[in-house]
Amino acid sequence: MIDFIQMIVSGVATGSTYALMGLAMVIIYKTSEVPNFAQGEMALITSYFAMMLLTTMNMSVYLAFFLSFVFAAVLGAFLEFAILRRAKEPNILGMIVITIGIEMVLLGFVSWKFGAEEKTIPFPIGPYDGFIFGDIYISKLDVLTLLCALFFMIVLYLFFKFSKLGLAMKATQQNSVAAQIVGIRTNRIMMMTWGISSLVGATAGLVIAPTVMQPFMMWDPMLKGFAAAVMGGMTSLPGAVIAAYMLGIIENLFGGYISIEFKTVVAFAIIVLVLCIKPSGLFARHYVKKV
Amino acid sequence: MKKRLMLVLFVSLTFCLGFTPGIFAEEGVTDTEIHIGGWGPQTGPAAAWGAVPRGTRDYFKWINDNGGIHGRKIIFHMFDDGYNPAKTKAGVKELQEGTGIFAWAGGVGTSPGLAVKGYLAKQNIPWVGPATGSREFVNPPQKNLFAVYPLYEGEAKVLVNYAIEKMGKKRVAIAYLNDGYGKNGLRGALASLKSHGMESVVEVPFEAKDSDLKPHIMKLRQAKPDMVLLWITPGQAAKVVGISKAMKFDTQFMSVSTCSDFIFMNLITKGAWEGVITGTFGEVPDSTLPLMAKYKKEVFEKFASKKERWGIFYYAGILFVEPMIEGLKKAGRDLTREKFITAMENIKGFKGIGPEVNYTPYKKGAIYSRQGTSQTFLVQCLKGGKSKQLTGLMDTK
Repeated sequence: MIDFIQMIVSGVATGSTYALMGLAMVIIYKTSEVPNFAQGEMALITSYFAMMLLTTMNMSVYLAFFLSFVFAAVLGAFLEFAILRRAKEPNILGMIVITIGIEMVLLGFVSWKFGAEEKTIPFPIGPYDGFIFGDIYISKLDVLTLLCALFFMIVLYLFFKFSKLGLAMKATQQNSVAAQIVGIRTNRIMMMTWGISSLVGATAGLVIAPTVMQPFMMWDPMLKGFAAAVMGGMTSLPGAVIAAYMLGIIENLFGGYISIEFKTVVAFAIIVLVLCIKPSGLFARHYVKKV
Repeated sequence: MKKRLMLVLFVSLTFCLGFTPGIFAEEGVTDTEIHIGGWGPQTGPAAAWGAVPRGTRDYFKWINDNGGIHGRKIIFHMFDDGYNPAKTKAGVKELQEGTGIFAWAGGVGTSPGLAVKGYLAKQNIPWVGPATGSREFVNPPQKNLFAVYPLYEGEAKVLVNYAIEKMGKKRVAIAYLNDGYGKNGLRGALASLKSHGMESVVEVPFEAKDSDLKPHIMKLRQAKPDMVLLWITPGQAAKVVGISKAMKFDTQFMSVSTCSDFIFMNLITKGAWEGVITGTFGEVPDSTLPLMAKYKKEVFEKFASKKERWGIFYYAGILFVEPMIEGLKKAGRDLTREKFITAMENIKGFKGIGPEVNYTPYKKGAIYSRQGTSQTFLVQCLKGGKSKQLTGLMDTK
């Protein structure tokens, strides 16, 4: 029983990282219908930026993290402004290819600039500091990640539901021409979306970095976050978060009781299953565009 | 007419040979240069091991700086294969058939190495010190291939033997990477257990890209082992040990030589690596051996880039090719591949910064005619990443 509970707790902890990445992907998808495959590397470069501030410039953790969040938001906005907006007659496939290109450039830059060896960043919470309840363990970083994921889910949900900017973002996704006609500056909206998304994704990178950092550290969380977003319906913020936790828990239980070798693939098997049964995802409404 | 034709042929031949100096010389060797190739991942998930060819490159620069080999400088052609066997094969073929390489030095990884093993063997191109301890490189032995890295299988045997015989461990668990590297370790550990009439309590496979390791740790913990052998990547090993200690999963961790850079491991585990025992294929980074100090001062400090670290992967790049330099010296000025191979076969009791190296003339089926080292010693990580030598050199055969 203890093992079962520990697996659930570990699954929730793992799911929190997936949730943050899933949320970041959903934000961009909600406005542009483009899955951003550079999301992981945007978080990666922000984490290394934080490391640089902390280790070479000896900044305090709070200031370094604050500046890193600013950097993440600016980076996201810059990428949209400087690269994606420049695409001529863009279609979805072309935009996806551009995000893959950005991903490779950022990954190459981090490997070249900071090297490939594992590193950690100084953080007030140690990577292995945790709480023990009986025989059940949860690390403090996992709790922090969980809180961050829930915080962003609630804030973003309220933002998209009630704020003018959030509604403008939704309008841009649903019909960008109509949005422009009613006075929404869709270009600016897109830029802000990328900025916010980058900031949310960077949070995942920054909570992973105190344990082990290396250029490929965001690869798995990004893929699983994307998987969760697809499972949740790609446009539903709570859907992405719930699916991320489901994925984390299922992976842990599958690894513990069935096969550790196929633990990683189980996530993708579930997605295939979900897409076959409910193509719009578990938590999104299925819209049909009428001509 | 016939005489005139002979004359034309003679003049043409002389003319051609005159403009292609060294046409009868060995491929990759000129009057002033020896072309040697090597590879290692500078990008991709295994890029931490990319320090190996960089160490080799800097060592060759140092050799050149000290006069080269019999008046020739070594030109080291190193390429990034991203630990992708397809890229390794393409890179090796391109350099071999384009530039013309005399011999290959190092070369990181089991899978990348296996991708070119047959190609180099077919043409009898010498290859010294593949950066892997997998058995496949010497079993069966090949005339052209001289291994330096002690076999993983033997290293795993030594570790498990020590745990059972000296530490009285009875419940051994094995965590291994699900590839050639991990499976070689697994095989050695199981052989040792079998020889003691025991079985492992659990065997947990890891995939190289696994980042969430809690399910693996749970699996290990469920089996209640008193010793866990880790044959996984350094980053994964760091996480397993760190999380296990935090979970109060108290057991003795032992690990492979690729995790024996204690200063580094201690740093990334924030001290949790203390107490872990590993095998090692050479000196530890803080070794006081005069040759290590010399390399650190004259190779690392002079030729390494500022971002480089004096870690085990970096100086392993030196260790793996020290016998090659010895072979090139022994082969003499009139360098050919055959002479070099013969010179390598005559290396006996060579001591660099690794265990003693011995080769013998090629004999079909004789692994140790091409497996130069068969010794390792065990070290334990102490506070602050310092190391304590637990054993003398132990036989891995």
